[in-house]
Amino acid sequence: MIDIRDVTYRYARAETPALRGLSLHVRDGSLFGLLGPNGSGKTTLISILAGLLPVPRGTVRIGAHELNDHLAEIQATTALVPQEYAFYPSLTVAENLAFFAGVQRLPAGARGDRVGEALEVAGLERTGAKRAAALSGGMKRRLNLAIGLLNRPRLLLLDEPTVGIDPQSRAFILEAITRINRQGTTVVYTTHYMEEVEAICDEIGVLDNGTLLVHGSLTELLAHGQGRRLRADLAVPLSSAQQRALANVPGLTAGPMSLAIDDCDAAECYRVIALLRTEGVVVARMQYGHGNLEELFLTLTKRHLRDS
Amino acid sequence: MHALAHLVKKELLVLLRDWHALLLLFVMPTFFILVMSVALRDRFAAHGGAPLTYHLVNHDRHAQTDTIVAAFRANPGFRDLGSGDDGQLLDAVRRDRAHFLVVIPAGFGAAMTGLQPLTVRISAGPGTEPAAAKLFEVAMREAVSRVYVERAVADLKLQLEFFAGRARTDSAFAMHAVDKLVAQRSLYDAGQQQVQPSSVQQNVPAWLVFAMFFVALPLSTTWVQERGQGTFARLRSIGLSPATLLAGKLLPYSVINLMQVVLMLAVGIYVVPLFGGDALALGHSVAGLVVMALAVSFAAVSYALLVANIVRTSEQATILTGVSNLLLAALGGVLVPRFVMPAAMQQVSDYSPMAWGLEGFLDCLLRGGTVATVAPHALLLFGFGVASLLIAGVVLGRSRGR
Repeated sequence: MIDIRDVTYRYARAETPALRGLSLHVRDGSLFGLLGPNGSGKTTLISILAGLLPVPRGTVRIGAHELNDHLAEIQATTALVPQEYAFYPSLTVAENLAFFAGVQRLPAGARGDRVGEALEVAGLERTGAKRAAALSGGMKRRLNLAIGLLNRPRLLLLDEPTVGIDPQSRAFILEAITRINRQGTTVVYTTHYMEEVEAICDEIGVLDNGTLLVHGSLTELLAHGQGRRLRADLAVPLSSAQQRALANVPGLTAGPMSLAIDDCDAAECYRVIALLRTEGVVVARMQYGHGNLEELFLTLTKRHLRDS
Repeated sequence: MHALAHLVKKELLVLLRDWHALLLLFVMPTFFILVMSVALRDRFAAHGGAPLTYHLVNHDRHAQTDTIVAAFRANPGFRDLGSGDDGQLLDAVRRDRAHFLVVIPAGFGAAMTGLQPLTVRISAGPGTEPAAAKLFEVAMREAVSRVYVERAVADLKLQLEFFAGRARTDSAFAMHAVDKLVAQRSLYDAGQQQVQPSSVQQNVPAWLVFAMFFVALPLSTTWVQERGQGTFARLRSIGLSPATLLAGKLLPYSVINLMQVVLMLAVGIYVVPLFGGDALALGHSVAGLVVMALAVSFAAVSYALLVANIVRTSEQATILTGVSNLLLAALGGVLVPRFVMPAAMQQVSDYSPMAWGLEGFLDCLLRGGTVATVAPHALLLFGFGVASLLIAGVVLGRSRGR
């Protein structure tokens, strides 16, 4: 669906490029989660895919078409849902949808149906006559999404569509996105919420400093470059004798109330558990396996996403 | 329906629901026209220390005429801008480059006390306040009368000596001739003869142009807000070109601008008289007024779009539109009449779009101008508008809606 090859983009007067030789393939029908700290190049990439920025170096193909050469055709089957509430607060929900349906040159006869569909998918059927400004944050997010569905896009670009809303609305939107994707729409989804990506995306890419660090399914990513880890939270601090006994375990780091071994295979894991039992170490909680997406992200980007 | 039609419809709907913008665009200028027209009904006092200017052409070579001219030139309340060709100077006064033209006919001095005296003709510019014109006329009449009385006394003495048999000849002397020595007319042309322009006639065009350019304030702030909330990015991603987006604002705001013109002219015609002011007269050429309204509107909205595209925040938009409008108004003769500006400042003033708009409207409302008369001003305004739009389009194209 999306084929990006060696794309470099530098803003005017910027010292470093926002994207550096980026290559990425997103398969048709995928729900692709794009992660990256602020300034990593996510918005630049989304802007390029939406046709808001040109492709000065490299190639971008969407479907069968080169983006630079077939921008109008691609834009007709693509929709961007910006992070901001990109609609008119003083217009009603129905007026907003009718306006955006109108400027998209949808056939006059089909506009009513499309508006109805969008209202239904976004769960806004009962709010058509309400001014957009009077909607709750969650409802505004739904309207933002609904506008993006008017042209029945083959590619839907979602830029942080769940920022600042309650868990109920977030769950509704995530469910709606999954449904849209199941109906055949390829979705590119950027967010700061790792758990959302883990929950709904079948492909994930991590972007930093304009470069794609990793790309693959969740399982592939979690297995990427990091072995299984053993972590234990202690109920009682280690005694001096216990500390001496554990000092010879390769790779083990001991804190006042915790133990951890990175890159620990199954055999080693069993040996350590046996040793803990022998030495009488009181364990409150133990974890073994690959880390989660957030840990992977921190490892890869060396930054905490929400603090960056 | 074309995308542009949807943009225009949306814009009008949004504007109709924005009470603050409506207040700024319609109520404020209405009050402005009303207050300024009534308050400035007799604004001669407002002249302060600024002297009234005049050109004086003396076709006479009589010693007493020279005395009159010298006495008048000594008056500190008036400034002589020099002499020249009658026709050219009359044209300059008609365009309010000076307040008055004084023409003293050949033979004036010799015929002054005769039975058939000649007349000093004063022509007042259309923008000159009636009170100022009256004062100027009185000053001229005083200068002439002083010499006239000296002549009259001398002639009277001769007559007395004649009657007493001490003089040989009688002198032809007509006491009533003094009333015929000075005459004034206004170059204001509203299709009527010998009519003085009212303050509303002189002030409405200035505030009209000022208010029309103030459309930049709501337009630029709205534009910045829309850009900030991502609607432009969304519209650009749909495939709408910068030209369509600009036209989507240009058309509805031009309609608003034209509604402002109609409203303010209506206030001048119907409402100002209710508050004791004179009614506005629309002059000879409604077509000329329409051309000027379209030209000023195009320039004002295009300028607003230029400002909107070069600023980054609403605060910048507010400050830039406010300050630049005041500067353009000051330079353009809206806040300070051009004729009281120094010559160098008047030259700078020639480059202010508000001056082009003001002169065009004054041509229609004061000087009997037609479409042909206002065409140069209108063309300058359209040129300014096109240049502003082109720059705005380039900036918008580069920003890609962000």
